[in-house]
Amino acid sequence: MLRYGQALSAHKSIYSLPVALAAREGLFRREGIDLRVVILVPGGAERMIHALHDDTVDVTHVATPFLVRAVLAGSDAAAIAAEFNDPIYSLVARPEIARIAELKGRIVGMADAGGSIAFSMRKLLALHGMRESDVRTKTIDGTPARLSCLRGGGCDAVPLGQPQDMLALSEGYRLLGTSNQAVPEYLYTVTAARRSWAAANADLAVRYARALAASFDMIRDPARRGVVVAAIVDITAVPPGIAERVLDLYAQPGRKALPLRGEINPDGVAQVIAFMAEAGQIQPPLPAAARFVDLSYLARAGVR
Amino acid sequence: MRSARLALLALALLPAPVLAGANRGEDNVGPLPDEGPGYFGVVLDTDGRPVADARVSATYRDSPAMVTRSNAAGAYNLPGFNKRINADEVKISCAKPGYRQVRVVRRPAPKGQPVRAVETECRLQKS
Repeated sequence: MLRYGQALSAHKSIYSLPVALAAREGLFRREGIDLRVVILVPGGAERMIHALHDDTVDVTHVATPFLVRAVLAGSDAAAIAAEFNDPIYSLVARPEIARIAELKGRIVGMADAGGSIAFSMRKLLALHGMRESDVRTKTIDGTPARLSCLRGGGCDAVPLGQPQDMLALSEGYRLLGTSNQAVPEYLYTVTAARRSWAAANADLAVRYARALAASFDMIRDPARRGVVVAAIVDITAVPPGIAERVLDLYAQPGRKALPLRGEINPDGVAQVIAFMAEAGQIQPPLPAAARFVDLSYLARAGVR
Repeated sequence: MRSARLALLALALLPAPVLAGANRGEDNVGPLPDEGPGYFGVVLDTDGRPVADARVSATYRDSPAMVTRSNAAGAYNLPGFNKRINADEVKISCAKPGYRQVRVVRRPAPKGQPVRAVETECRLQKS
């Protein structure tokens, strides 16, 4: 059995698609893996790596900045495969707010200050001449919760992932910008494992990497489009038409939102480190990306 | 930049009568539309003392398990699964190194009222 940790805030979002699809379509079983998804409660990115250390899970979904932070604090965890490279987060505001500059003094429901969403939103604000200190922020974990804050009037603007951003726009809220406008190559989420666990279970880690690679192949395979759309419908509870558009958004040729086969781009890790340094979360000299990844299992799975 | 503009355009053109997902943020905005009753209770030892930091799991068939830890008072709280499932089929279990689970007691819900949360007491014995 392989216990895979999933974030409470991600398990019903598009960001769980690669692993959820592999599980639904028997790609783990084909590799002889009995995968058990474990949703950690409460959520929170720090909890994901901790769950590796307290033996709650064997491998885990985690946003890269939190992996970096945990490793710098002494964890022996490492990324063994990429799940999402460059997510698309939409900054969505109340209907009367037309431009980012109009957010000055308003409440923005932000994700964890140390995470990729907050990094990209700070960059987006900066692109429009704004600093984070120009707005009032409150931390809200998870796109559905941030959408609730927007709808309830507690937030004037929030970053939303798919498909909730599409829902908000259909309800009359305004799109002010997307994270991709401000953020270059990135490594958003990975599957991480403790190096000690992976070394002791190398064959399992390789088979996991192979199953994940097959899932990315399936996501891009036009012949399996119906299967992928059905998975998105089940995961995110959206109608098929919306699921198709979400799939198009992420899997279109040329867009690097998804890795091709789970490969880890060291430049994406370096970008995460650079953002963390920029935010004052880590100090120079900056660590090398190689400290946070172990590419050997992907390599043995035939993923380059 | 061109791809970013395209993404922006694609998003802006999308209609979407959609339901939100079932995850919940740490700001505790309450259960989401498709979320069933939550699960709460306490982990006690055989003498009735609270057991802190026990791992408490809620499982339903092949669905992902929900896992949390009991607090200093032995209390735990887990969100619900999808509201379409039968809450009676959800299994609660607890574990802690040095202990074994001896009993799980589910408190009956008040009759004639919708089930908003399911209370379960989990007993551990030192092994």
